[in-house]
Amino acid sequence: MLSLFQNVQWLLAAGDSAHGGDHGGDAHAALAIEGLWFYIGLVVLISFGLMVMAKKEFGQRFFRTRISQYAEQLYIFIENLVVGIIGAHGRKYMPMIMTFWIVIFISNCVALFFPTSPTADLSFNLGMALIAVGYVQYEGMRANGVLGHFSHFAGPKMGLALIPINGMIFIIEIISETMKNVSLSLRLYGNIDGGHRAAVAMNELGEGANIPVGAFLLPVKLLTCVVQALIFCLLFCVYISLVTHHDHEEGHGHDHADDHGHDPVPATA
Amino acid sequence: MTENTQPKSNPAMVVGMIVIGAILMVAGMVAYKAHAFDAIEKPLAGMGIPLNFGKTISTIGVFLILFKVIEYFFFKPLHETIDHRTGELEKTFTEAETLRADMTQMKADYEKRLADTEASAREQIQAQIKEAQDLKKSLMADAQRQAEEYKQTAIAEIEAEKRKVLGDLRVEVTKLSLQATEKLLGANIDSDRNRKLIDEFLSTVEVKN
Repeated sequence: MLSLFQNVQWLLAAGDSAHGGDHGGDAHAALAIEGLWFYIGLVVLISFGLMVMAKKEFGQRFFRTRISQYAEQLYIFIENLVVGIIGAHGRKYMPMIMTFWIVIFISNCVALFFPTSPTADLSFNLGMALIAVGYVQYEGMRANGVLGHFSHFAGPKMGLALIPINGMIFIIEIISETMKNVSLSLRLYGNIDGGHRAAVAMNELGEGANIPVGAFLLPVKLLTCVVQALIFCLLFCVYISLVTHHDHEEGHGHDHADDHGHDPVPATA
Repeated sequence: MTENTQPKSNPAMVVGMIVIGAILMVAGMVAYKAHAFDAIEKPLAGMGIPLNFGKTISTIGVFLILFKVIEYFFFKPLHETIDHRTGELEKTFTEAETLRADMTQMKADYEKRLADTEASAREQIQAQIKEAQDLKKSLMADAQRQAEEYKQTAIAEIEAEKRKVLGDLRVEVTKLSLQATEKLLGANIDSDRNRKLIDEFLSTVEVKN
């Protein structure tokens, strides 16, 4: 029993004594991979538990249970987000965006009740960011061609004499695209891990009087859970919109037909 | 409906993504255990950046699997349900719209028929009124003619009666005059001759009147 308790404590612990400890510095706070698997498993378990509950009423005319109604609201919310930013042709990205939303939101909520969560781990967030930005590049190449996509990074054509400026713009744009990974992952990590650290620091303030001062941060942290999931999905939509917008304008006739339910280019995510 | 705007993944690609995801998950774990990225991770850790690329690779693997699993397990049934419902609603609205159009047409027809009926009734009433007025005029003319006839007959009868009475009165006056004259002059006077004289006298009187 004691061994089980110790194992659970080890899994729940934010510290990475087995691996990250060797790295030293703030990396000490990172989860060990076993801890990450535990939390990913927890998030997947909660997500699928909720999905199974919501799925019970799928196929029926009306949703009577709250969970199914929430699922519908989530679908409509994401559809509005996608159509509003990308356009009607953006509906094909909905499964991917919904997956991001579910995983990020549930992970953020897990962070409210557990010492840490997947989204409080920078490596996990970087994985999500790499997928998001990588998929954006893939869609850009598919929409404009490989050369067309990368030529956009060089800015407008300004003549032979100004090629060095195009080169500089190209480098800046490449750095900018790379930094999208950093911004997406660091923002989420900073908000969730920072929330934890703030709660711990505030709890230490009230430790003498046995007052959990950090609990007062709960409403703000709950808001952060929603806002961070929204920001990640919103930025992903904006990035997709930027690389497919040109294609959408050029092939307006096709995409207009797309708006009316014709066959779009299938997504491969 | 948005059914056709959804991605159409082929099964081979789905299986491929899941297999690649699983491989990346394992590769990430192996990289983590083997400290494969220590050369990058340690300097980053020294700068306070808790990054581990083994976990990142595993996360990418997890997401490659989750995208497809959530899509097939949750998103598609939800999408189909909402799409079906939207279709039903569109159908219901179309039917309601058709029924409303039919009803509007029926109402217009009914109103037209009502207006026609009213116009016809009005025409009939006007015709009846005109007929009644004509009849009234005819009856009044008949009545006036009859009254005139009765009046003329009455005047003629009165005139005849008047003449008859005057004749009778003349005879009576003659008789009375004779009787009075007989009493005054005695019995030797020739009655026929006297009567003739009296008549002549009376006719002169009558002419004067």
